Amino acid sequence: MRCRLLIGLLLLLAAPPSWAGVFPYTYESNTLDNGLKAILIPMPGTGLASFYSVVRTGSRDEVEPGHTGFAHFFEHMMFRGTEKYPGPVYDRIVTSLGASGNAYTTDDYTCYYMTVAAADLEKVVELEADRFQNLSYKEPEFQTEAGAVYGEYRKNRTQPFSVMFEAIQDRAFDVHTYKHTTIGFEKDIAAMPTMYDYSKSFFKRFYRPENAVLIVTGDFDAKAVMALIRQHYGNWKKGYQAPAVQAEPEQQGERSVEVAYQGRTLPMVTVAWKGLGFDPSSKELAAAALLADLTFGETSPLYRELVLEKRMAQRLFPGFRLSRDPGLWAVSAMVAGEQNVEAVKTAIDQAVARMQETPPSAEDLEGLKRRQRYSFVMGMDTPDRVASGLARFVALSGGIESVEALFTAMELVTPEDIRAVARKYLTPARRTVAVLKGVQS
Amino acid sequence: MRDRFPICIALLVLTLALAAAAPAAAQAPRLANEPVLLPVAADPTVAFKVAFTIGSQNDPAGKEGLAYLTGTMMAEGATRKHGYPEILKLLYPIAAGYGVRVDKELVTFSGRVHKDNLEAYTGLLLDAIREPAFNDGDFARLKQRTRDFIEKTLRYSSDEDLGKAAFYGAAFAGTPYAHLNAGTIAGLEAITLDDVKQFHAKHFTRETVVLAIGGGYEPALVERMLRELALLPAGRPAAVAAPTVQAPEGRPVMIVRKPGPATAISFGFPVGVKRGEREFYSLWLANSWLGEHRNSSSHLYQVIREARGMNYGDYSYIEHFPEGGQRSVPPPNVPRRRQMFEVWIRPVPNDQALFALRAALREVESLAKNGLTQDQFELTRSFVSKYCLHYAVNTEDRLGYAIDDRIYGVKSPGHLEGFRRNLPRLTREEVNAAIRKHIRPDRMWVAIVSEQADSLAARIAAGTPSPMSYGSPKPEEVMAEDKTIEAYPLGIRREQIQVVPVDAMFAR
Repeated sequence: MRCRLLIGLLLLLAAPPSWAGVFPYTYESNTLDNGLKAILIPMPGTGLASFYSVVRTGSRDEVEPGHTGFAHFFEHMMFRGTEKYPGPVYDRIVTSLGASGNAYTTDDYTCYYMTVAAADLEKVVELEADRFQNLSYKEPEFQTEAGAVYGEYRKNRTQPFSVMFEAIQDRAFDVHTYKHTTIGFEKDIAAMPTMYDYSKSFFKRFYRPENAVLIVTGDFDAKAVMALIRQHYGNWKKGYQAPAVQAEPEQQGERSVEVAYQGRTLPMVTVAWKGLGFDPSSKELAAAALLADLTFGETSPLYRELVLEKRMAQRLFPGFRLSRDPGLWAVSAMVAGEQNVEAVKTAIDQAVARMQETPPSAEDLEGLKRRQRYSFVMGMDTPDRVASGLARFVALSGGIESVEALFTAMELVTPEDIRAVARKYLTPARRTVAVLKGVQS
Repeated sequence: MRDRFPICIALLVLTLALAAAAPAAAQAPRLANEPVLLPVAADPTVAFKVAFTIGSQNDPAGKEGLAYLTGTMMAEGATRKHGYPEILKLLYPIAAGYGVRVDKELVTFSGRVHKDNLEAYTGLLLDAIREPAFNDGDFARLKQRTRDFIEKTLRYSSDEDLGKAAFYGAAFAGTPYAHLNAGTIAGLEAITLDDVKQFHAKHFTRETVVLAIGGGYEPALVERMLRELALLPAGRPAAVAAPTVQAPEGRPVMIVRKPGPATAISFGFPVGVKRGEREFYSLWLANSWLGEHRNSSSHLYQVIREARGMNYGDYSYIEHFPEGGQRSVPPPNVPRRRQMFEVWIRPVPNDQALFALRAALREVESLAKNGLTQDQFELTRSFVSKYCLHYAVNTEDRLGYAIDDRIYGVKSPGHLEGFRRNLPRLTREEVNAAIRKHIRPDRMWVAIVSEQADSLAARIAAGTPSPMSYGSPKPEEVMAEDKTIEAYPLGIRREQIQVVPVDAMFAR
């Protein structure tokens, strides 16, 4: 067992002296013999407890053809119950607890979460341990749930950004599973009702203790909760089978895609470069995270020009998401009219060229680092927000230490590092440019 | 359990103490409303809400959107001291900001900052509220953005919100609640920058402002904020009467004709309960059983999604609940004197729309007729008594609820505490009496967004059966129930059905 003052230490390292000990959360990280890791962060006095189960499987792991979207679909099936607690019984218990809970699936992981009155945490541990080991559902229920997933797809299709990212991921990747979005391709969603047997194997391969991490935050005694976790999860059998995710070959030249949105919308432009996989100690990755804001954020010269002054774009935002394998580092603009599409693309090019030519000022970089630290601390105010803020880090690295490592790496980034990353990664040969227009606009 | 809402109590005690201790300053202007204070000594941050008891209901006829545009320009525009890009630069390193919510009866500016940065932040916040520059560039930018939101996003990219907006527009037609908070296309077109300036001077006054501060602040901060806000202009805008809304005769239907593979449905009727009243908590409990938002415990969810897989979710409400697609619990600071009981059916395939409407209506009618069983009552009471803990988990939300208590006139210790006090004492008979009194689906408005508007109108009017077919086997009881649902009488006459092209929505 390890017990550390993660956030307090982080602030000692990263923040002005007066910050020391502002957020003195301690945490414990324990790994059971079966490989399940549990991270416990007591937050006395909150009266609530959040229980997050992070399965380190997402749409990235959908390697077999015809099964895009399956990790997400499976997330839905996890609410269908077990022999001990069949779906309606499970629902009834969760209802009686007044739990605020749900689940979501991303490219790299699937997360199940529940926040309850702290006194009910014991029951949550038992319920969650049971469904992760003993999930049981019949084929008709499986097929019915496929309809709900299709409904979610239909809902998303009315949103232009969803349509845009489906197209750009498909165009940017050739073999890696980041080629498809988390919800999957429509033809695969339509075929889901026929995949009952596959769903069973999916559970067996991926829902295993060595591929999962628990994050528990809130008002509890860590020792007692750890004992409960050992009691209820101790017999979970190992057996994770890592999927053979193909590495994406180096992109050879710029790509582009035009996307037709079946409705009316302002046009959108997204430029996405191939980025880096998650390595919290990588100075380049830390520099890229800062580069995104400095080049495309709301205080960047580009934002000022396009959104505030010339009003050629209504929105402009970067999306350099941390991902397990090299993903996309993107900037997107909602353009104020088709007549401005080319000018927006040119302005984005010019902003990148400026960053490649001239490093950001030390003042701007320090301001951003300061912002990152304050944002992090201010986001840690409730059990749910602490757990949700850590979930992606835990999913990508398997532990909580990566938070500290990444923030430490960020502190060391210099203006010259930012320019170097812009030069190395934001190149035409690594990018895909997408333009979306509404067919009824 | 007994100490579940100690903070709310502390807040009110402090508010009263501060009010009592305030010196009777001779001539200095002061705010008409006492501040809402929620000190949390250990909190390294401070949360602010500066609310004004005006809203889109105050929009002049023909200038719908004026409150929204004014509030948005204050939150996202220049001040007399700083251009907007400069404001963003100043807020950036302190990871702070202030946003605005403009609703029918309340405009609320909200923000939070680490206490290291209080001085810099409060100066910017106060400038935005007291001394907005209202320049031409910000006006053009934000007006166009608002217009695009209506013309592009709401009409074409958000069927769920479109359906809800259509429902509210129909239900409140002819009242100050009828138009979107963002306004109408014609209203926005008519608004000039001078209108914005005048609206600000007349409505954002020391008589309408309510200051709320929570977290790790010092008393001097409150005094300073009060002093500064007292420099707002004086004046109390003309009172806007609460909308008079009667349930319609029968079930008028608005079908918005808009291309798309799925159909969104909302329906409902006026509901006359008020926070703080015991009957409110009865009806809240009943509604929670029927359609708790984003929760699989919702009965509608169980019938339409869980058993039949028709869509992503199905919910109901007794208070307005904006941003339903993004939020899991009700937002504070949308207080309204007139509320609707509302059912929200998330998009279903076009060919299942009529079945979904029938299924949902049948469940509401069943609830109205039969009420809750003892088991349903007890389970839902257990759920709500704990689930309400999630409504306000941080200082900012608690401040929001405390402001709403003022607006609704809920006495100490407030609405959230009202759940804890009232739920254990409720009886099934009481809840069922509230259901019988308030759930009246025989008279309601229906709003539908569908590309099959005309054929849907014809089928609704003719009462055409709407048999379901599934791609997978369903239990016998579901199939048997389907037979009842497919022919369930809707009781809607053709002359009550109006088909509206989507481009006509929110035009004026």
